[in-house]
Amino acid sequence: MGLIEHKFEDNFITTNIDRVLNWARESSIWPMGFGLACCAIEMMAASASRYDIARFGAEVFRASPRQSDLMIVAGTVTKKMAPVLRRLYDQMPDPKWVISMGSCSNAGGPFPTYSVLQGVDKVVPVDVYVSGCPPRPEALLYGLMRLQDKIRKEGTVLRKERVIMSGDTEPTLVGERA
Amino acid sequence: MQTIIKFIKSIFLIDLLKGMWITLKYTPQPAFTFQYPAERRPTAPRFRGVLRLQTEPGTGAQTCIVCDQCAKACPDDLIALGGHREPGTKIKVLDYFDFNLSRCSFCGLCAEVCPTKPIKALIMSEDYELGSYNRETQILRVDQMYDGVAIEQYTH
Repeated sequence: MGLIEHKFEDNFITTNIDRVLNWARESSIWPMGFGLACCAIEMMAASASRYDIARFGAEVFRASPRQSDLMIVAGTVTKKMAPVLRRLYDQMPDPKWVISMGSCSNAGGPFPTYSVLQGVDKVVPVDVYVSGCPPRPEALLYGLMRLQDKIRKEGTVLRKERVIMSGDTEPTLVGERA
Repeated sequence: MQTIIKFIKSIFLIDLLKGMWITLKYTPQPAFTFQYPAERRPTAPRFRGVLRLQTEPGTGAQTCIVCDQCAKACPDDLIALGGHREPGTKIKVLDYFDFNLSRCSFCGLCAEVCPTKPIKALIMSEDYELGSYNRETQILRVDQMYDGVAIEQYTH
């Protein structure tokens, strides 16, 4: 910074590309309109004017996975829905993130049965788990801020992959930058 | 006759003006939005947030008597607690209190059956800011049960 100061004309800002790209990514996370159960009601409340998720740049609920960056899994994921959810996740363009909203998608919730997926992280890598049954709209906004905090720390050009290690059930960000 | 009225309406843009008048009526009103991270809305009196263990207010002594009623009341078996009895005393000391938050449906049955008086050992607190990056941190240990889950402050 100090070396190239006053060497250019005015109106130049020097920064690094990670910071610029992450700033752009974190301040326009477009979620996918993907409500599965009662948590979707709270998700709608978070996007309405009382809580106004637009303050975080995430107000554009896209109907198509190809236009969205974030999948908010809001509700119970049945085993019949799980392949559909995985296909929708695969159709989303990189970079993409997943918020698991509510107890049902976190771990199956009060349904330890044969028909309900016990945690959506068995199908897609989850970035932020928001607990609650259902979470308040504020809790979802808090989860979104946690996700923005995580995006701020990601590498962009040298993209690190999120993988599930052997013997591990959680997807981890390989070589995450501090 | 109908078509003439419709034609006049469309010429003078009556419906458009009606809609814009409604928008204009709402414009001078103050904003309806809660600025959430800066401004925290008070919860309802009987709001059920994340579980919390309480100590005695003055002394900070343990109020939980390790009766295991909350673990029995939980419909999903999310609470596991245990303690030991010090030799020569009657009271049990709480050793561990593991609460699996990830499945919890916040029904409040555990706090309802808690028998300690006058201070309830197990209450539903007002904390709802629960966002974690993995599932290990969703199992709350005994110190988190006393102090509450750490909340990141995002107000700049």
